[in-house]
Amino acid sequence: MTNGAEKSAAAGASAPAASRARTEFARLVSYIVFGTGSVYLSLRAGELPTSRWEPLGAGSFPQLVFGVLAGLCLIAAIRAIIDIRKAGQLDALGEALCSWVKVRRISFALFGLLVVYLGALPFAGFSLATFVFLLISQLMIAGISKKTVIQSVIAALIFSVGLNLLFAEVFNVFLPRGMLFAG
Amino acid sequence: MLDAFLAGAHQVFAFDTLIYMLIGSVAGIVAAAIPGFTVTMAIILTLPLTFTMEPLQGVSVMLSVYVGGYTGGLISAALLGIPGTPSSVATTFDAFPMARGGEPGRALSLGVWASFFGTVISTIILIVAAPPLALIAVKLGPWEYFSLIVFALTIVASLVGNSLMRGLIAGVIGLGLATIGPDPMMGRPRLTFESDILMPGLPFLIVLIGIFAISQLMGEVEDHGKNDNKGALIPDVIEFKTWAVMREVLMHPVNLVRSSLIGVFIGALPGAGGSIANLLAYDQAKRSSKTPEEFGKGTPNGVIASEAGNSATAGGGLIPMIALGIPGSAVDAILMAALMVHGISVGPRLIMDHADLAYGMFVAMVVASLMMLVVCVLSMRLFLRVTDIPKQFIVPTVMICCVIGAFALNNRVTDLYLLGAIGLVGYGLKSLDYPLAPLVLGVILGPIAETNLRRALMSDGDWTVFFTRPISAVLLAAAVLSVIFSVRSVLKMRRKDRPATDEQDGD
Repeated sequence: MTNGAEKSAAAGASAPAASRARTEFARLVSYIVFGTGSVYLSLRAGELPTSRWEPLGAGSFPQLVFGVLAGLCLIAAIRAIIDIRKAGQLDALGEALCSWVKVRRISFALFGLLVVYLGALPFAGFSLATFVFLLISQLMIAGISKKTVIQSVIAALIFSVGLNLLFAEVFNVFLPRGMLFAG
Repeated sequence: MLDAFLAGAHQVFAFDTLIYMLIGSVAGIVAAAIPGFTVTMAIILTLPLTFTMEPLQGVSVMLSVYVGGYTGGLISAALLGIPGTPSSVATTFDAFPMARGGEPGRALSLGVWASFFGTVISTIILIVAAPPLALIAVKLGPWEYFSLIVFALTIVASLVGNSLMRGLIAGVIGLGLATIGPDPMMGRPRLTFESDILMPGLPFLIVLIGIFAISQLMGEVEDHGKNDNKGALIPDVIEFKTWAVMREVLMHPVNLVRSSLIGVFIGALPGAGGSIANLLAYDQAKRSSKTPEEFGKGTPNGVIASEAGNSATAGGGLIPMIALGIPGSAVDAILMAALMVHGISVGPRLIMDHADLAYGMFVAMVVASLMMLVVCVLSMRLFLRVTDIPKQFIVPTVMICCVIGAFALNNRVTDLYLLGAIGLVGYGLKSLDYPLAPLVLGVILGPIAETNLRRALMSDGDWTVFFTRPISAVLLAAAVLSVIFSVRSVLKMRRKDRPATDEQDGD
């Protein structure tokens, strides 16, 4: 009994430590991505030709900024590695990633819809593309029922065709017209 | 002087001018409440409508859009956690937690009253101290400007949230993003990889909408189903407590006046506008507070400082414009353009040649702020009809408003692709607990810093000039002190946390 309690207490203590280690690992990946990217961009900025008219050329400032960023990422990465080692085991990474994505599935689905919408905008035009985007995203968030379908169709119509008319007629801002559908 | 003042007031108080100003005030509030719609954009849309008006009437309408716009940004900042305009970034820090904590009406009323008092204080200063302040602002050379930006960047240290390092990284990423596109001095393309999308650079507004709005909207639908008890983004019952909040704002006179003064000073500096004043006023309020740990959790001091700071730039920006013909911000440049369309040259002779116009503008500022207050107090409930709208309607619709705002800026569909990409990056950074405000600050300040650094070194290649010019040296010293102070506060807070943790461990 005591042994079981000790085991569960140890598991309870190690759970936040493992979670901290996983978070730090995710951050470590971000430091590596930003650090590597900044080294590359700093090198690219260094290739820009210098100016005859000024001591600092077009590339000097970006080189300085990305150099500093690379340095900061290096320091942050070292600290993250130390923290991961301190926190202990880095287990169940795949499982944690899956649950992270699962919690955010609607967010990612919404973003995916946004990408498709932005891609379709030049072809379908603002009104049609927005109508479809709004309808699908609203139903995705609210769930499908007779009530939500009716509400979503009305809201999608107002904020697609209605917004297009408002901006064109009142503000003189013309939203994208489609190649396939002019509205 | 009195004659000119009365003549100006007579024109402003004409019935048709007041009606136009009222419409302008409502339009400014509504436009700025839409994330992505800046005050500048609202003023640009107003400009063609004022061509047929008398000069003072036209400028008065634009001023009411201006003042209304600074307050409108508060609505989405407080209720959705998305700054409606760049000037309300710091407003989200406390107004949003306060609204989420069950006091959305108090958060809005605090912001409205702070904006009103900020505008009134800035107008008083505009009337009384315009000439000397403008003279100080115009004396700043590129050395002082660069040092000023360095000082402003040290604010990053106090906006870092949970980690100083991640805050610094975010700030420097912002500076880096600002270097993409044409070089600000010679126009040479940099880091564009010959891509048409990157060729014009990353427009600040797109970065702002992507980083704040898209990531925030994606976050709103996280773990959907489990959070159903949270319900709508905005609670059903909002209690404004207008008069009690007015007294509450007046009970913080030091914060109110200090933040307004910061707004006036920043507004008077050409190029530095409400976005910097908002953050700087917030930062100073936090630093001088006896309870800095309450900032970011919904303290009224944070809301008062940020809103008084950004609203006071409206008056501050008019100081160099009226006295010297130098616009303090993009909005002031548009106001100048409106006057020039009417054949009025803006400069030192404006007060001498068109005294009624100059004093009329002062009166219009006061009237515009009063109108904003009346409109907000009487019809805030009307603006907040969104409270009845469930999340599934708000989130996609606000996303569409963001897309429209991003598109209307340059009428470029490619900007929308950037918006999507930046939104995803913002969401990733937010998930990893990177503070987003320093990134935005970096994007705003980057081009100003680079331009002035290069200008300074073009005039004189000697780096020591930054330390030998008195104002520049003072600003750099202030920057160093600011860093030391921030690091000290972080260490102090860590020491404070440690015994508690040790005790817990001991238990």
